[in-house]
Amino acid sequence: MKIIFDQKGRKSQVRSIINYAIAALILSVVNIVLLDFIAVGTLTPDFLLILCVWIAVTEGQFFGIIAGFLCGLLFDFISHDVIGTNALAKTAAAFVAGWFYKENKANITIGSFRFLAIVFVCSLVHNMIYFFFYIKSTEISFFPFFLKYGLATSLYTTVFAIFAMLVKLQRKGG
Amino acid sequence: MQSFINFVAKYKEYFTLVALVILSLSFISLGDVSRIGGFRTVVIGTVGWMQSVFTWIPKPGALQSENKSLRQLNLQLSTEATRMRNAVIENKKLREMLKLREEQELFYIPSEVVGKNIIELRNYLTIDRGASDSVHAGMAVRNDAGLVGVVIGTTNNFALVEMIENRDIKIAAKLQRSGIDGVIVWEGGEVFELKNVPKAYDVRLGDIVLTSTFSNKYPPDVPIGKVVEIKEEPGNIFKTISVRTFVNFGALQEVFVIKYLPNPERTELIQKMDELLKLRKGYTK
Repeated sequence: MKIIFDQKGRKSQVRSIINYAIAALILSVVNIVLLDFIAVGTLTPDFLLILCVWIAVTEGQFFGIIAGFLCGLLFDFISHDVIGTNALAKTAAAFVAGWFYKENKANITIGSFRFLAIVFVCSLVHNMIYFFFYIKSTEISFFPFFLKYGLATSLYTTVFAIFAMLVKLQRKGG
Repeated sequence: MQSFINFVAKYKEYFTLVALVILSLSFISLGDVSRIGGFRTVVIGTVGWMQSVFTWIPKPGALQSENKSLRQLNLQLSTEATRMRNAVIENKKLREMLKLREEQELFYIPSEVVGKNIIELRNYLTIDRGASDSVHAGMAVRNDAGLVGVVIGTTNNFALVEMIENRDIKIAAKLQRSGIDGVIVWEGGEVFELKNVPKAYDVRLGDIVLTSTFSNKYPPDVPIGKVVEIKEEPGNIFKTISVRTFVNFGALQEVFVIKYLPNPERTELIQKMDELLKLRKGYTK
């Protein structure tokens, strides 16, 4: 009986991984292809970061940092960015998001404003690391640049995290 | 060993984080994206294709930005158009000034031939323009074909023109094609002769002969005629070049007085030199 339970758990886990992978692919494409339509000036939301936070909050820190790394690497490949920058930033962001993981309470966390706060904090961590490498080879001052773009991007990403929160709320209601 | 495994399992998140950070930094240290090679090229190509699929969707932000760019471009073009219009007006003015200058240099006074005289192989014309029309002695006369002669005397309403069909005439001339200089003289025949052109010089049949800038009597570049015969006689270092004038002197009805007077200072200098030479000749004799 126990074996059957484990097999079910593994199947469920594999299904989750596949779902996350598909979601990551779709969001990557959306992030690259359709981002122009929702961009405000130079500011764009980071859908993959929201997914990473979702995974970390739902599945835990260990699963989250691996997902963050893979999502970041995927984004590095499909964007024209330096390979590794998004991977590093999203790994760190997912690691921070993992601190907010509470077993069997993921639905409550995501379906509340707490999720937005987590996304905002994780996005700040992500942007801090990303922009550090972004302006490394330039003479731009980090903090003014980060305050101007990093903070604004984090806020914009948080705004889109509301949709994830609403999706979870609707499921809970259903 | 078991305790180490337990330790790793307990802090697997941290170990994984450290491993992935190292891996990420290793990727970053690669830096040069070209090292990723063909795979990334394929990915970029695919993304580019996907982006092209969605190009039909209107982008409000992009449209706004494009509008802004177009407005700026429109402003630039409008400024340039204004500049162009100003340039056209300026160009027109300058052209008019140039034309005026040309007209001032070779201003023509149209006149009709009212009489012809032949005195000792000197052909003269009488024209119906005189001093009251600003016609003065020394002004050259031409028609549409070429050089006719020079005004030698005026009354208020008439002027006497000494035609180049005149034994006293010597015109500094040049060949248009080669720029070779010579002197046009008339010795009573049907054609003129271009003198002082050495045998070695390049002269061809049909070469156009114009008045030269060396002439103090005639304005430069007025057509005279064309070369119709070239002879090289033994014992003579110069060619014998026959020039037929463009002007049909027998059918002159309308001519133009060229409002051009020789430089008086230059004329004075030449006269002084002539007198000096005459004096020297007198002493020699």
